[in-house]
Amino acid sequence: MAQYGMVIDLDRCTGCRACMVACKVENNTPQANFWMYVFRFEEGEFPNTRVSFMPRPCMHCDNAPCVKVCPVGARFKREDGLTATDWDRCIGCRYCEVACPYGVNYFNWKDPEANYYLNWDDPGVSEITGGGLPYANPALELAYGSENRRTAGGGHLKGVVEKCTFCVHRVEKGLQPACVEACPTNAMHFGDLDDPDSEISQMLRKRASFRLLEDAGTQPRVHYVGGQPPTTETRQIEEVKVRA
Amino acid sequence: MAINRRGFLKGSAGVAGGALAASFLLGELETLAPASSEAAALSEKWIPTTCWIGKQDCGLMARTVNGRVVSFEGHPDHPRNLGKLCPKGAGQITALYDPNRVKAPLIRTNEKGVPGTWRQVSWDEALELAAVKINEVRERDPRLLVWQKGRSKAKALYDKAFVKASGATKMGHGAYCSDAGYRALEYTIGQHGVLHPDFRHTRYLLSWGWNVTNAGGNKLCWLTWPQQLVQAKERGMKMVSIDPRLRSAAHFADEWLPIRPGTDLAMALGLCNLLIERGTVDRSYLRRFTNAPFLVQEDGRFLRAEPEGEDEQGKALVWDEALGRTVPYDTEAISPALEGTFTVRGVKVKPAFEVFKEHVAEYTPAFVSQVTGVPQQQVAQVARELGENAMIGSTMEIDGMQLPYRPVAIMAYHMAQQELGFQALRAMLMISMLLGAVGAVGGQRCDFTWKAHKNWAKLDEIKIKEPPYNLYLKDSKFYPINSALPGIAAKVMMTPEKYGVDYVPEVLILHHTNPLGSFPDREAFIQAYKRFKFVVAIDPWLSLTADLFADVVLPAATIEKYEGPLSATDQYVDATALRIPPMNPLFESKGDIDIYLDLCEKAGILYGEGGYLDHANKALKLEDPYALPLDRRPTVREIYERWAQASGIEDGVAFFEKSGVKVKGPVSARKYYGYATDPPFAGAYPHRLYGESLLGYQQQMQAMGVDKLYWQDYTPLPVWRPMTLERSPQEYDLYLMSHKLIEFKQSRTPLPLTVELAPRQFMEINPKTAKARRIDDGDEVWVESHNALSGDTRRVKVTASYRESIRPDTVSMPHHFGEYVKHPWIKGQGPSPNSLFFTGEGYVSNTADQTYLVKVQVTKA
Amino acid sequence: MATRIERLPYGIGRWSAGWTILLGVLLAIITVGVYAYYQQLALGEVVTGLRDIGTMGGAPWGLYVSFVVYFVGVSFAGITVAAMIRLFRLKHLRPVARMAEVLTVIALILGAFSIIADVGQPLRAVVNLFRYARPGSPFFGTFTLVMSGYLFGSLVYLYLDGRRDAALLSKQPGRLQSFYRLWAAGYRGTPSERERHSRASFWLAIAILPLLVAAHSTLGFVFGLQVGRPGWFGGLQAPGFVALAGVSGVGLLIIIAAIVRRVLGAQDQLGRNIFRWLGSFLLVLTLAYLYFMIVDLLTSTYAAHHHEVRITTALLKGEYAWLYWGVVAALLTSVSILTVQYIPAPAGVRLPAAWPRFVRVAGVALLADGMLTASQAIPAIKQSGFAFSPQVVAVLIVLFIALLAVFWVGLLPLIRGKPIMTAVIAGVLVNLAAIGKRYLIVVPSQTYGTLLPYSTGSYSPTWVEYSIVLGLVAFGILLFVLFMKVFPIMEVEDSMPL
Repeated sequence: MAQYGMVIDLDRCTGCRACMVACKVENNTPQANFWMYVFRFEEGEFPNTRVSFMPRPCMHCDNAPCVKVCPVGARFKREDGLTATDWDRCIGCRYCEVACPYGVNYFNWKDPEANYYLNWDDPGVSEITGGGLPYANPALELAYGSENRRTAGGGHLKGVVEKCTFCVHRVEKGLQPACVEACPTNAMHFGDLDDPDSEISQMLRKRASFRLLEDAGTQPRVHYVGGQPPTTETRQIEEVKVRA
Repeated sequence: MAINRRGFLKGSAGVAGGALAASFLLGELETLAPASSEAAALSEKWIPTTCWIGKQDCGLMARTVNGRVVSFEGHPDHPRNLGKLCPKGAGQITALYDPNRVKAPLIRTNEKGVPGTWRQVSWDEALELAAVKINEVRERDPRLLVWQKGRSKAKALYDKAFVKASGATKMGHGAYCSDAGYRALEYTIGQHGVLHPDFRHTRYLLSWGWNVTNAGGNKLCWLTWPQQLVQAKERGMKMVSIDPRLRSAAHFADEWLPIRPGTDLAMALGLCNLLIERGTVDRSYLRRFTNAPFLVQEDGRFLRAEPEGEDEQGKALVWDEALGRTVPYDTEAISPALEGTFTVRGVKVKPAFEVFKEHVAEYTPAFVSQVTGVPQQQVAQVARELGENAMIGSTMEIDGMQLPYRPVAIMAYHMAQQELGFQALRAMLMISMLLGAVGAVGGQRCDFTWKAHKNWAKLDEIKIKEPPYNLYLKDSKFYPINSALPGIAAKVMMTPEKYGVDYVPEVLILHHTNPLGSFPDREAFIQAYKRFKFVVAIDPWLSLTADLFADVVLPAATIEKYEGPLSATDQYVDATALRIPPMNPLFESKGDIDIYLDLCEKAGILYGEGGYLDHANKALKLEDPYALPLDRRPTVREIYERWAQASGIEDGVAFFEKSGVKVKGPVSARKYYGYATDPPFAGAYPHRLYGESLLGYQQQMQAMGVDKLYWQDYTPLPVWRPMTLERSPQEYDLYLMSHKLIEFKQSRTPLPLTVELAPRQFMEINPKTAKARRIDDGDEVWVESHNALSGDTRRVKVTASYRESIRPDTVSMPHHFGEYVKHPWIKGQGPSPNSLFFTGEGYVSNTADQTYLVKVQVTKA
Repeated sequence: MATRIERLPYGIGRWSAGWTILLGVLLAIITVGVYAYYQQLALGEVVTGLRDIGTMGGAPWGLYVSFVVYFVGVSFAGITVAAMIRLFRLKHLRPVARMAEVLTVIALILGAFSIIADVGQPLRAVVNLFRYARPGSPFFGTFTLVMSGYLFGSLVYLYLDGRRDAALLSKQPGRLQSFYRLWAAGYRGTPSERERHSRASFWLAIAILPLLVAAHSTLGFVFGLQVGRPGWFGGLQAPGFVALAGVSGVGLLIIIAAIVRRVLGAQDQLGRNIFRWLGSFLLVLTLAYLYFMIVDLLTSTYAAHHHEVRITTALLKGEYAWLYWGVVAALLTSVSILTVQYIPAPAGVRLPAAWPRFVRVAGVALLADGMLTASQAIPAIKQSGFAFSPQVVAVLIVLFIALLAVFWVGLLPLIRGKPIMTAVIAGVLVNLAAIGKRYLIVVPSQTYGTLLPYSTGSYSPTWVEYSIVLGLVAFGILLFVLFMKVFPIMEVEDSMPL
């Protein structure tokens, strides 16, 4: 059984946020929901300043606080390490969200239809597309895993919590997550942490790495090489702050 | 539902106290065994195509489900993006279906100069109207017709075929981009491009105003360069960023020189001075391939031999140290002197290099530091490291050739748009010349292959004419080396007599361009474009310009059309691509080529000799049997079918419809390195270290009595002078520059998915500067710019954003906000810096290129 | 049938104009709440002030969760008091026993409703919370122990305790007769029955007390176990919750008892001694909670992790300072007035009589001094922006003590020997404090508690949230009133013959 994980090379990241957009298109996430987020950081004072970037997917923790607190088992760990959300079972209590130290959860505060950037029901458009989101990805509706649960985000139902799925619908097809696929400088790598020959295992062997908020004991499956973790001196610049 | 022991049952049956204790206290998590799910059968298809957004035409794979495109991914085989995409590339999916596109041809129903009201009409009616107006002026005087393009993706069929067939005056946007650099390089070493490194071998790179993380770089709009940069960095390349903002190079910079905006020329000459002082100079290159040894008389002209035959001036002479006398520079087996003073036929002469050496001697570290605001020791360190890393004298074997190995280079592009741009770029190139890095392995590059550009000769022998001049003052006494700047054209349209222009154009065709949004200064364009009697806009969006001035809007398709051919090289691999429509054009839009075919047909300039098709054949080099028949209208696909066949692609367009990109293989070193071509540098040498002809132009311009403002920078060697904008009163105490954001750079479309990431305009300001003005992070501020010559002021309100990584005397605003008025995501984005910059005298440099710099004062709103 | 009681006790089944008006008002408020909830269902929780932690800079938990915790807390009182009466034979408290039990039941119902108001998928919640219940989740405790076990226990207790009265009332013909019969379930009041009864309720009481501690602890765990939320993670949460639950519960019980005493004119049943006892109980609990607060404050300021400090700063001198210090003031005030009754009568008389000038002068002096330092500190406050500099804090403390002293001494003659009034005032104050504190536990750790460098979040409830919460409160009062109208809110005296 593969143990999926991600290694992000901060030396390579240009902070372009292509991963964020690729994720939004692939997963049809509504406005203001960023399953993948890229921090842009600044430290120090002129002229001794440092500018750096840090992508933030879901950490798919092994000791995931969100899974622990979910009262109905809608948030669960798959044996391959993915931290999945069954949007068919979630009751929308948002406990996972307050439990998560990384702020990766997004609650659907509105109907997605009212939250998809443009009016896709415009007569001219729906004439061609038949209405609804024109780039809707049918794979999101399906059930995945032998447990056969709907964990790919689906229709972004109002009143349920969602987050990065590591593109479970792609991974199960043997594809890379959309963010990894898109990254212009190959800063993101996805693979099997248990396979010593996998690209990510080798990277982790060769280079110093860290995980975010390691002392929280969450055991994230997202590792970072190059760069350093943010400190109290780290300021966010060009922040994306959108309320649904 | 297969569930393992520690399975979920336990979780849900966990009301049992035992389970409660176990999982509550031990906090173990239930896990479920996954298995590949049976994905429902969808008619999924992948169509290869080419990105439409930027300048570098990355390869795309369009994923279509049941005939509808649902996403774009990178084309794995495309050399320029290797399967990757920038945020716009991924986000353009919304542009395809955007309900705010111009869906059908529009005809204006209200007066111009105010937001338009429109009537939807048939293609036939719209084209008819346009054709009549176009023909009407063409008959009177073809000069009255202007074709203005933004980005054109099928030069052969737009810039060439249509412009030639219609006889229109063509205006581009290059002069807003980097043309000063192009002209400098064309003039100095005959290459068409600005500056970039040989990333596979360069060891030390000056990232000179290169916005690594957001934009530009030479010739490509973004993605390729960062890809090559990260590999070079991992190889151990050191990168020094010379930029007023660190945000550009971010953590990729090993060293940051926070230079004062617009002082790059002084910095470059300062480095040259130190290189010469330290003796890290490649004399053999200077002797053999530059005019450094040419003997310069005291009048600044070369000492020449008697003219032979019909060439009006004799060959320039050099001092042969062996023979101890002058000989023509191209005499075999000589050792020309680079330094010293000689007396020949009673005149005192010095080698150009000596003149250069004495000239740059004034640019001491102290002086440079005072002008540029960069500490002396940083300048000295960079000079030292440049010299060390150049490894002058070393060679490397490539394809069996021993080639000079000089792994130092400069990446520079958009920073060329400053008042002294042309000379600044010459000065920067001189660093590479002194180090012998030009065309060497790991050294300075300018174009994808090494070929001689026609301007190498042209720019050296411009015939400055007496008035009347054309719209953009070609060959004029004002801007002899000229870049066809629309800003100048706008100025000319307002006061033609002032510039000796005897007409004002009447009909304008806007091809995917939005001058009011994209070019400074907005005011000038609004005033000038009022004078166009008839304006046709070809655009998928209703741009600000079209909204105010278009009489007819022809809806163009976005990515859903055949277009090309498009170069796909990344400088190491040669490839060609074609844009393939992943869907039929949406709404009533049409591919641009179809639009031009229609328009020409209506205007009666499609068929026959000198018609559109005839020029298309010439431009695409289509000869029988592939030439388009001149009496029949072809489909666009047919045009490309013939082109593909003619260029030896047997499967024709079908090949591109299947594979998207034709990869021809690695670029041979013989085409790639200046030293490896035959003749060397594609014959474009001796390189013009000393610009004798520039001096000639200056003298002519003075003789023709133009103001110093125009001729002062036509000097044989680059000379630093304070920028004209420094004449603004001192209450305008900050430099406003502009930068690009990766979310918008190059985008010709409003993309909600990227607008969401950068929703509103902001101005970067150093906290020290801000606090001194009681401005908090996020405060609204007034920014007022001042025109140093006319005294005009412009004022906008914008949000201040703290940045420690910007010079305290500089503020910066990004571009591309608020350009498409009619789009819900663009409304209220805030002002473009273009409404603060000025164009024309003082802000348009000696080669008629736009300056993106102005003095401003910032006050809390 | 000569010995036939004319009317049922405690105004059961009798409506006066006042009752009708009250009913109308309550129904009106409830209607608004229902409409607000309809809005929330239709448009989604975007109509609330809640948003996601992180890039949205919000708080996903807000007023609803604060009130879940408050309501469940309040439920503490009833069953505790009732059980204690039973276990410690506190005969004189029996009159408040039943209203306490009813309070518990209603509070728990409101708690459940607030949870439903909070979740995004209420229907799924009702099913899935039980169908897929996960012991692993701290919520599990809240649902099983509190919502189910606890509620069930209280209902049983209420039932047993009410049987005798039901039997009594079932003798009277009337619309409710059958209802009483049902409740009495053949109860006769024979000695053996009484014996069985008291034994049953005794063991039930024994069982309930630990359950009660556990139940309120689990609620603490909901927050205390979250390592990802600075300000939440900590062992003190559980005991703190139990203590504050007691404070709010007993406080509310006092208020209700006082109201019942008034409207039913039950001065003799609900004597001052009852209020004195409840007051003391409240005093003990409040002191206990203050102790927890101080310990908590120390741990989160003294050499704490900077994330903790960030939140504590927001509480002590930042966005939430007004609320935090308001809570502290309310608690201290109630403590100070509750202590009054312990001043021995003579002293109590002499103090205000003999030292009034001295104390008032002293108080005024202190006040003046405070003002003076304040006036000097004003510039300091100005230039130190919003943050309180040490000297400012000092000034505030001085002022506060001064005010307290004057207030206390000034009030002494008024409140001395008025246990009911003091208890009620304290009751009101501590309940306001409890609500405020619940909010302070829930919200700041989300808006100021991000471990990654997201910018500070913000949360302010919208009219929808306020309306729903008010609606719930009104609903609770309605239930109580209706109960009062169908069943004796206090045990019927033995004098009444069976």
